Amino acid sequence: MGTINSAFSLISGALDADQAALSIIANNVANANTPGYTQETPNWKQNQPLEINGVSYGDGVTETGATSLRDSVLEERLDQQQQLASASGARLTALNSVQALFTPDSGSTSSTAGDIGSDLTGFFNSFSSLEANPTDNALRQQVLSSATTLAGDVSNAAASLNSQRSALDQEASGVTSQMNSLTSAISQLNLQIQSTSPDADGGTLEDQRDEDISQLSQLIGINQVPSENNGLSITTTSGQLLVADGTDFQLTTGSVGGVTDFFLGGSDITKQLMSGGGQLGGYLTARDSDIPTALTSLDQLAYSVSTSVNTLNNNGTDLDGVTGTANSPLYIFKEPATVAGSAANMAVVMTDPNQIAAAGQGDGTGDNSNATAMAKLTKTTSTTINNQTPTDFYSSFVSALGATVSGVQSENTAQNASVTQLQTQNNALSSVNLNDEAAAMSTLQSSYQAASQVFTMLNTIMAAAMNLGDQTTVA
Amino acid sequence: MRVDPSYVSNLVGSLDQAQLNEQQLTAELSSGVSFNSLSQNPVGSGENVILLNQIQQDDSFTQSSSLVTGQLQVADSTLGSVVSQLTQAISLATSANNGTMNASDVQSIGSQISGILNEVQSLANTNYQGQYIFAGGQTSTTPFTTSMGTSPGVTTYSGDEDVNYLDTPDGQKIQLNVPGNQIFSGSGSNSVFGALNGLVADYSSGTVNTSQAVSDTEALSTALNYVSQQRVTIDNSISQASAASDAVTGDQAQSTTAQTNLMQADVAQVSTQLSLAETQQTALEDVISELDSASNSLFSKIQP
Repeated sequence: MGTINSAFSLISGALDADQAALSIIANNVANANTPGYTQETPNWKQNQPLEINGVSYGDGVTETGATSLRDSVLEERLDQQQQLASASGARLTALNSVQALFTPDSGSTSSTAGDIGSDLTGFFNSFSSLEANPTDNALRQQVLSSATTLAGDVSNAAASLNSQRSALDQEASGVTSQMNSLTSAISQLNLQIQSTSPDADGGTLEDQRDEDISQLSQLIGINQVPSENNGLSITTTSGQLLVADGTDFQLTTGSVGGVTDFFLGGSDITKQLMSGGGQLGGYLTARDSDIPTALTSLDQLAYSVSTSVNTLNNNGTDLDGVTGTANSPLYIFKEPATVAGSAANMAVVMTDPNQIAAAGQGDGTGDNSNATAMAKLTKTTSTTINNQTPTDFYSSFVSALGATVSGVQSENTAQNASVTQLQTQNNALSSVNLNDEAAAMSTLQSSYQAASQVFTMLNTIMAAAMNLGDQTTVA
Repeated sequence: MRVDPSYVSNLVGSLDQAQLNEQQLTAELSSGVSFNSLSQNPVGSGENVILLNQIQQDDSFTQSSSLVTGQLQVADSTLGSVVSQLTQAISLATSANNGTMNASDVQSIGSQISGILNEVQSLANTNYQGQYIFAGGQTSTTPFTTSMGTSPGVTTYSGDEDVNYLDTPDGQKIQLNVPGNQIFSGSGSNSVFGALNGLVADYSSGTVNTSQAVSDTEALSTALNYVSQQRVTIDNSISQASAASDAVTGDQAQSTTAQTNLMQADVAQVSTQLSLAETQQTALEDVISELDSASNSLFSKIQP
């Protein structure tokens, strides 16, 4: 060692190493905008020095490949936060559609159609007006028309909620096929990574796997469990296995009780998915919790109003002197059978205004005591509606709905801010920084130039050595 | 210290947020309403429902009250006419009772009193907007009919004792009618028709049974006072309706103010916020375009 030849091989080793490093830099720059790409740095390794007769001779440098700069803990934190943000985002979109059905009445116009609160007031007011002149035909018509407005708005709201629920159902089941293709892609990548780089970072394969996991976590809440040989298992947030190294388990759907439920390996995991996060979690929460809550409240209101008014009217005396009986009852609204569904089915069945029983049972037709009783329903509490009056119940309902939406909005804003922060941190570490690449390129360029200069000089020296003593020939 | 090379995309996110903010403020300004979705003011939304309910109830009562006042005033003026008819009857009877009249004069007084009886009956059968106002609850049938088959004649009441009330928003009850038999066919010497029928019978033959006639005349006098007392009930209802209407109008004004304050956009505040949002948006746009146009990496500076 220590000869001119060994110097040549040292320098050509340096040139190779520089070339390899340059191609890594070039790859970084080429992939600067590739989503999920983690920047790579070249690994320089000094070759083992040789020892001959107690003298140590260096053996140059080798470029041993690239290392991806990633922080898997940070990436996992980012995925978890994205799960939460996707869930609240999907839920917020659904809730905004729900609350749009109950826009507050500004009260500045005289026509207040469309607002259930005003409809309730108008309906009970029509009975108050009837008290003053119980036989007046115009006032009786007003009772029927305000009843029709109320029933129409309530049933429309219920119908809209039901169709929103179907739409969410479709969105939720649409997520399934995306998820299944991601889980099978991840399991394939697991196999590849485990076979090519079981002990080290998997490079671009791991970039792809991370990108797939990130997309998957936006769709459904997941937990990542690293396994041996750089493998990965993925479970849902509540523990059901989706990917186990090279095997993936597909999510299937089925119709249960009119909505789509989700099955993994035969067991129904819909409830667990609902609280799990991701878009699917958000859709399911809106579909199975938020919308049914609103529908139940509307059902309770419709049931309470319909049955209480019907009962009173049936017990009074109408303008023709008739009192309602079991066989031919005097009902204003369609009498609901159960609380569930009474909002969607709320309708006015009475067509003849004479059948409004303003008079008490057995009284003359000019009596107004039943009209007074029906008007008083606005101040009467009922157990069906949480021991509140109809207007108070509706008021609590809109407040509660507004508070829910407002809460989800705040959650979503905070989670999005957190995602942005984590994304920034992750980008700072893993994204391609063009300035860094430019500086590295500059450095490599100088070192390549220096190595090639040394090579040229060595060449000259070699020629001189071969010409030792001889003036001509080798140049 | 490392830096996020893609920070410009975060700025774009902020720009979207600023635009959204501006849109919401513009919508608020153009609609004049301070919140148009439940989540913007959940508690306010609930209050709004209750306030509107109050306002609309008050409005409805004001209308009912004026309707009812009209009816009550008709009843009141009818009873006023009854009182003057009865007063005339009393003076006629008194003159017949003093023994200075001859038989034909007495008979003529008898027929005048008969005419007064018919007049009072038709007043008792007053019909307002298709309904008999002194029939209790049986407002579609004529309450009073007189048969002269016997002497004295008999006036029968075919209505009932039903009384209607109007509920005020604060829970008071205003009486809307007095049953006819209570006014005109009271028991014993309180009966208007009883006294009138009696007097007609007393003077029909031309010869006066003085003690009977005087007794009937006194009964008519008692009955007249009784009618005046019933009239007081009607008058009380009229003032009650007026007072309730005033109270309700005051309540309604307060509720309306509260509701307006709740729902109305504060134009000055919204305009200021809108101006700030617009400034922020312009500033962000400038920053983004400046960063874009400037050379953004070392590559553009390296000499090859």
